[in-house]
Amino acid sequence: MAAGVAAWLPFARAAAIGWMPVASAPMPPPPREMRRGQDGLIMLNVSGTRFQTWRNTLERYPDTLLGSTERDFFFHEETNEYFFDRDPDIFRHILNFYRTGKLHYPRHECISAYDEELAFFGIIPEIIGDCCYEEYKDRRRENTERIQDDEENENNNDLVLPELSFRESMWRAFENPHTSTMALVFYYVTGFFIAVSVMANVVETVPCSSGPNRAKEVSCGERYALAFFCLDTACVMIFTVEYLLRLIAAPSRYKFVKSVMSIIDVVAIMPYYIGLVMTDNEDVSGAFVTLRVFRVFRIFKFSRHSAGLRILGYTLKSCASELGFLLFSLTMAIIIFATVMFYAEKGSSATKFTSIPAAFWYTIVTMTTLGYGDMVPKTIMGKIFGSVCSLSGVLVIALPVPVIVSNFSRIYHQSQRAEKRRAQKKTRLARIRATKSGGANAYLQYKRNGMLADAEEEASKEAGQSLVCKINPTFETQHHHLLHCLEKTTNHEFVDEQTYETNCMEVSLTKPSMSRSSSMSSSPHGLSSCCTRRNKRKSFNVSNSNMVGGRRGSIQELSTIQIRERPMSNSRSSLNAKFEETVPLNSEDQSYITAAVISMPTPPVTTPEGGDSASSHDFLQSNIVRVSAL
Amino acid sequence: MAGCSSRCRQGVLKLIQSLQRLVSGTLSKDNIDDELEMTMVSHRPEGLEQLEAQTNFTKQELQVLYRGFKNECPSGVVNEETFKHIYAQFFPHGDASTYAHYLFNAFDTRNNGSIKFEDFVMGLSTLLRGTVREKLEWTFHLYDINKDGLINKEEMTEIVRAIYDMMGKYTYPALKGDVPKQHVDAFFEKMDKNKDGVVTLEEFVLACQEDENMMRSIQLFENVM
Repeated sequence: MAAGVAAWLPFARAAAIGWMPVASAPMPPPPREMRRGQDGLIMLNVSGTRFQTWRNTLERYPDTLLGSTERDFFFHEETNEYFFDRDPDIFRHILNFYRTGKLHYPRHECISAYDEELAFFGIIPEIIGDCCYEEYKDRRRENTERIQDDEENENNNDLVLPELSFRESMWRAFENPHTSTMALVFYYVTGFFIAVSVMANVVETVPCSSGPNRAKEVSCGERYALAFFCLDTACVMIFTVEYLLRLIAAPSRYKFVKSVMSIIDVVAIMPYYIGLVMTDNEDVSGAFVTLRVFRVFRIFKFSRHSAGLRILGYTLKSCASELGFLLFSLTMAIIIFATVMFYAEKGSSATKFTSIPAAFWYTIVTMTTLGYGDMVPKTIMGKIFGSVCSLSGVLVIALPVPVIVSNFSRIYHQSQRAEKRRAQKKTRLARIRATKSGGANAYLQYKRNGMLADAEEEASKEAGQSLVCKINPTFETQHHHLLHCLEKTTNHEFVDEQTYETNCMEVSLTKPSMSRSSSMSSSPHGLSSCCTRRNKRKSFNVSNSNMVGGRRGSIQELSTIQIRERPMSNSRSSLNAKFEETVPLNSEDQSYITAAVISMPTPPVTTPEGGDSASSHDFLQSNIVRVSAL
Repeated sequence: MAGCSSRCRQGVLKLIQSLQRLVSGTLSKDNIDDELEMTMVSHRPEGLEQLEAQTNFTKQELQVLYRGFKNECPSGVVNEETFKHIYAQFFPHGDASTYAHYLFNAFDTRNNGSIKFEDFVMGLSTLLRGTVREKLEWTFHLYDINKDGLINKEEMTEIVRAIYDMMGKYTYPALKGDVPKQHVDAFFEKMDKNKDGVVTLEEFVLACQEDENMMRSIQLFENVM
């Protein structure tokens, strides 16, 4: 919780008056208020730069140097101020943390100096706000990498990994070849075979020297047909095995099949199999020849081996709108100029500009400044428009290209950062979830320790597994008191998720046996409440000494709700009588034992005399029974 | 089939949109709304002396209160969203927004959708330093959602439901059945003296004064400052 919101706690507590008339149980007493002295200003002198702040501001975080008595070590008597021989620029951020509750990381500062200052003032870096956290983590990681490189660590691959299943380890080996030697070997072997296959496709078409008595030249593919076929078969075998292995190891096979790389794999090996099937059919052999074109797709398999190729593909995909715009404007210009050239050259004889589509070729060649020269205008008008065409071509092409280039560079850097952020996403979400549940769990932990009356430092230290520096313990106790009041108002308690689940499971177990018992009055409430008191009777020793006779109210309910909702006038002793009443009921249903361990705080010392108020908090304490499943 | 055709339509729309973006490029006009957000509403409270005269707080207490107030709301006014957000931080288990809404209405005496520091301090003065009668009246006004001077069962059920919402889902014992309704019935049993189905201010004050525990509870929070 931010320190700023802590200032609103008195308001929230005052507003709790709205619950009082509705509540049917008495409220717990408030925690002891520490009488604090007058709120004074503190002067902090950091290497000559003076900072001033309220004493309360610093004491918000008593776990740090400035918030605790540790600062007294730095008190300078003569000038009546606290003197620190540290960096004043970084101190500014540390002081802001006390003021706003958020710690920021200044980008221009050196990461090691900043870390040292944080360590000196006792502030954990994990509380850096989300706005600066990424940057901080990045810089930290770079720093540690630098240190590692300097140390020339040999065992950098010696990671201790959790036990992965064979399938998971295989997938990891495929995705990240540097994890093991086998993976690396596999990576290089497949790369080699891709190269061999592509080379074979290329060399196949080169004309080899023909025999002296042959009229036409024969390509190497036809001359050494068998050799090339064997090579092709070997490569396809390897690719097929690789594809099948990937398919088996993939954690989500559907997602794998849909991915681009697997489609490339399939397209690379399909022609071979199709060729095997239809070798003898003459009609489709023409189509078969076209199919061999697809073998060139094997070169795209290299993109698994090269990250740069992948990024290029990705950037082209995301630059699509800019590329589309370029294409669109070019098309517009081509059509305009082709039309103009056609009508300009219409008059001349034996012109090559036979139609507008025929003029497209001229326009494209001229605008991209290729100038093959197979089509040239002959009329004067044609030449004038031709020159305008080539000049405008330079402009039209030159303008969108820098946009695409800058887009490319932006997307490239972005993809680098996105990779980092994706790697950090899990930890970031975990952090956010931890701080959020830390607040909720703090109260549950607090209750579990049984210290509801007067807690102070010990409870606030144990309470909350968050990494955040503990806020003022008085604040914590007051906040817990407020939540306790809410529990009393509604006669329900806060529990955490696991306990709730176990309770609900027990309900389903205990329900059938409950309906059997006839001596229990069955209000729909009693049947449906989770965690009846019944099961606790086994381990609960009712102290009979203070039992006062006389049942108040006529309904014997086992459900805790009904017990709690009894009017306030019930004394504690009568409630114990309630327990006593229910014991004989319980003995009828001995058969039911669920695995539930009940931790009861010690029953309160029995003093039936005296008003409710004095001992009311003990009474309430005994009411809170925690059930934890074994 | 209907889903199919709507999806087709969406696909066609998206295609048209992408073609449009292809032609016109990706520049977009400045949004007029962005300009309006630049001007921030800022409010300053009346002087310290005036506030001290109007409320039961001392100068130091007012200073501390204002500093906390201004820290969370630099613009000087709290709107309902901010109020709900602040209040929800104290009750992370459940959903405090409904109860915060009713609280907001109770503090916003002028019904203009925002709480200024004066409203805040007046409300707190009643709650922390007012007489018992004033506190009970304030609570009555909190429960009286439509401000007609009477609390009927529906209003009470709303309030109690809002309180139970703050508990969240994971409670012990678990919330089964209509627990708020039973709570409301018990409340009306106690408060509605003449059994006419509504609770007036007098009935409310009388019934609360009879209940010793409640009186004690109300004094509980006097020392929060």
